[in-house]
Amino acid sequence: MAASSMEVVSYQRVSKVFNSETVALMEFDLSIKKGEFVSFLGPSGCGKSTALRLAAGLERPSNGTVKIFDKSPKKVIKQTNDIAFVFQDANLLPWRTILDNVLLPLELRGGNKKEQKKEAIRVLEMVGLKDYLDYYPRQLSGGMKMRVSIARALAAKPKILLMDEPFAALDEITRQTLQMELLDIWQKEEMTILFVTHNVFEAVFLSTRIAVMSARPGRLSSEMEVDLPFPRKLELRTDPSFSQYVEDASLLLEGSSIKRELI
Amino acid sequence: MSIPTSEINSRQKLLIDSKAKKQESKIWQKFRQFYLGPIIAFVVFLALWQSVPVLLGLEHYILPKPTDVVAAAIEDWSLLWPAVQITVVESVLGFFVSAVVGIGVSILLASSKVLERSIYPYAIVLQTIPVVAVAPIVVIWFGAGYNSIVVISFLIGFFPVISNTLMGLNSVDKNKDELFTLYNATKWQKMWKLRIPSALPYMMTGLKISCTLSIVGAIVGEYIAGIGGGKGGLGYSITVAAMQVKTSYLFACGIAAAILGIAFYLLVSMFSNYMLNSWHDSAIKADK
Ligand SMILES: Nc1ncnc2c1ncn2[C@@H]1O[C@H](COP(=O)(O)OP(=O)(O)O)[C@@H](O)[C@H]1O
Ligand SMILES: [Mg+2]
Repeated sequence: MAASSMEVVSYQRVSKVFNSETVALMEFDLSIKKGEFVSFLGPSGCGKSTALRLAAGLERPSNGTVKIFDKSPKKVIKQTNDIAFVFQDANLLPWRTILDNVLLPLELRGGNKKEQKKEAIRVLEMVGLKDYLDYYPRQLSGGMKMRVSIARALAAKPKILLMDEPFAALDEITRQTLQMELLDIWQKEEMTILFVTHNVFEAVFLSTRIAVMSARPGRLSSEMEVDLPFPRKLELRTDPSFSQYVEDASLLLEGSSIKRELI
Repeated sequence: MSIPTSEINSRQKLLIDSKAKKQESKIWQKFRQFYLGPIIAFVVFLALWQSVPVLLGLEHYILPKPTDVVAAAIEDWSLLWPAVQITVVESVLGFFVSAVVGIGVSILLASSKVLERSIYPYAIVLQTIPVVAVAPIVVIWFGAGYNSIVVISFLIGFFPVISNTLMGLNSVDKNKDELFTLYNATKWQKMWKLRIPSALPYMMTGLKISCTLSIVGAIVGEYIAGIGGGKGGLGYSITVAAMQVKTSYLFACGIAAAILGIAFYLLVSMFSNYMLNSWHDSAIKADK
């Protein structure tokens, strides 16, 4: 009982087949506990996005089950604000100001307008965009847009944050800044984060655990705990322990593709 | 601190002067780039038009000179001006009805896949029927004159609105649609907060096409539906002028209709830019 209440996301032998021929995901088994930061790491086409979308209820498994808090993702979405999704492009509505973009999830759920605005401003402050409330998305840089996107996801106080390569399109410096900000937010807001990336450094820097995946068919090939202490700062990247984890993860990643070729 | 005020003044003046000069040269540059050519072409065109009837010895009822046209417009101004006003009212009414009905029907159709799938094909088929061909039926139903003219104007302007709006309502970005799904948005929340704003650029395109067509509709409507006892608009003036071989006045009416069309189009374009100002790319490019 205690164990199952700690379990936030659980994939049980989940398979997903598209158009009855593309096996995007095969027998995916993974259990994620409260407060974890789990990265899905793997080459392009290995089913990372599919795994994430299954957890959001945006796809239905062809086989097996996905459970969020022991319920189906669709049901969780219907009843609560527990799941938030951050897309690779910021996915903002161009006709709304920054503030109104962040207000959207709150607006759709209904409630006290004043409270909503307060909450929206709180999360925008958290991502450092309090001075840009009346700007339109087209007036912001890529990194700022992604910040707005994260603020929007946080606005409804989710318990689970699903992120699909959110920083892939950003330049290296912006990416590093946002990575640290994300870790800060994760610790402040006590969320569970599922993070998709194909970048080994990013996966090691952010995660408490890495799920390494391989392609054709997409599946989980290995798991790795990252026991680096928090808060993690920029200096960690030059630390030998960090390099060791990066090397290990790279080997697992390579191993998964070599294994595939041997089969 | 130790700089004398006169020096500051002269330096400031220099700065302001150079700024003003820059501005001036910018305006002149823009003028030269975009307006000078068309203006010269227009003047050359007028000169040619003025000289051709003289050189070929054409009578004014075959090809009037621009000066004849202007003279006719001034002479019959008391006929021309009311005719223009009537056509404006008819086409604006026709346009408004096609905009409101077009957008309303589109939203209704788009709100239900079943409805859209079963009705939209007929809308396309209807669109291929030349309105001029069915106009006499409209006259039978709505009587000669005003009502029929507005209905014909509406029929001509309606389809561009509906086809463009529907296309817009159905071309919502997939990620944005999923975002709304993730926040458990209802069908109508999606409609008002996502699909309609997404479709706005398409709607505006439809309205721009429709506004010029509604003038065509009003004039054609007057040809067919007559005036039914009331005062006639441009279409009626054109019919009468043609019968009386008042060619110069006929030209004046045609030019008036063209100016009307351009003015209407510019007005709707301005409205469109205003609506899309905050976000749509074409509007952003336009204001740069
Ligand atoms: N909606 C879909 N229809 C058909 N095939 C899909 C669809 N979504 C993903 N796929 C296929 O499934 C595989 C895994 O895709 P995806 O989960 O997007 O991989 P990743 O995110 O790791 O790059 C790919 O081969 C992709 O082409
Ligand atoms: Mg992907």
